[in-house]
Amino acid sequence: MNIEQKIRHTMEQVAELSQCQLVNEIDDDTVLLQSGLDSLGFAMLVAQLDEELGFDPFTQMAIPVYPSTFGEFVSIYRQYSEKTRE
Amino acid sequence: MSNVVIVTGASQGLGLAIVRALLEQDYRVVALSRHCSEPLSELLKMQPEKLTFASADLSDLNAIPALCQSLLKKHGRPYALINNAAVGHDGVLATLHNSQITELLNLNLQAPILMSKYLLRSMLLNRVGRIVNISSIIAQTGFNGLSVYAATKAGLEGFSRSLAREVGKAGITVNSVAPGYMQTNMTQNLSDENLKKIERRSALGKLATPDDVAAMVVYLLSEQAGAITGTVMTVDAGSTA
Repeated sequence: MNIEQKIRHTMEQVAELSQCQLVNEIDDDTVLLQSGLDSLGFAMLVAQLDEELGFDPFTQMAIPVYPSTFGEFVSIYRQYSEKTRE
Repeated sequence: MSNVVIVTGASQGLGLAIVRALLEQDYRVVALSRHCSEPLSELLKMQPEKLTFASADLSDLNAIPALCQSLLKKHGRPYALINNAAVGHDGVLATLHNSQITELLNLNLQAPILMSKYLLRSMLLNRVGRIVNISSIIAQTGFNGLSVYAATKAGLEGFSRSLAREVGKAGITVNSVAPGYMQTNMTQNLSDENLKKIERRSALGKLATPDDVAAMVVYLLSEQAGAITGTVMTVDAGSTA
C-alpha cells in the first residue's frame, strides 16, 4: 500500500470511528475541511497515521504548514516518509 | 479499555500521593519524574506489575514528543494523564530572575500543554480518556510573591476549559484540581506561623492533605465523574470559602 492509499484507508477508518461521512470523490484538489472530516477528525487521522507510520510530519517540520487540500496533505506525508527512511 | 495512567512529578508530595491512590484503585501507573525518590522506589518494589518509573525532565520541552512516543510504545494508549509536575519559585516580580520566570512558564504551563497534545491523540482514537491538570487556589486568589506561579496556574485552568470543549465529543474529559496549601516540599518556604494562620482561617480549621487532593483525582478518573468536564475542583479545606 503506498502512502496515498494508506492515508485514504485511514481516513475511512477515522470517519467511521468519529461517525463522519466522507464525500464520494476525494481527489488532490479536495479541500480537507470539505472532505467530510471535521478538525477533530483530522487530529485523529494524524494520530492514527503517527501510530501506523511511526512519524508525525507536523511535529517534525520546523515551520508550521497547514495543508488545505488532500493533495497537499499527501505530499507532506510523502516528503517526510522519504526523510524518515533516509 | 486501557487502565494506564501517566502521572508527572510523581516522586514526591502530591504526585506520590496520587500514584499511591491510583494503585489502590488498580490502575497501572507510569510515574514520571526527573529522579526516582526513595518512597517511589519502595512503591516500585512493592508493586512491580502495576507501577513503572520513567525518568523525564519536562523542562526540556523539545524532548516531550519523543518522550510521549516512547511511553506509547512501551505502555500502549493511556486512559489518563495527570499533569502534576510544577515548580513553585516565589519572589516579588521586580527581582525574580528571568530564568526562573522562564522555568515557571515552561514547566508549569507549556510542558502540560505539550504532554496533553501528544497523549490525548491516542485517547482520541480510544474515544475515551481523562486529563487532570493540577492547578492551585492561587490561580484565583492573590498571594504576595507568587504572581508568575499564579499566572501559570490560571493559564492551566483556561487551557483545561477550552481543551474540554475541543475533545468532549471524543469522550475525553479535561478538568483542573485546585489544591489549597498543603504541607509538602512546595510550601516549605512558608513559615510554620503562616501555615498555622492559613489553617486557622480555613472553614474546616485545617489544611487539606495530599491524600485529600489525590482522592479528587481518583474520583475524576472514575466512571461516576464521566459527566464532569471543563471545570475546577477545589480541595482546600474551605480556605477560599
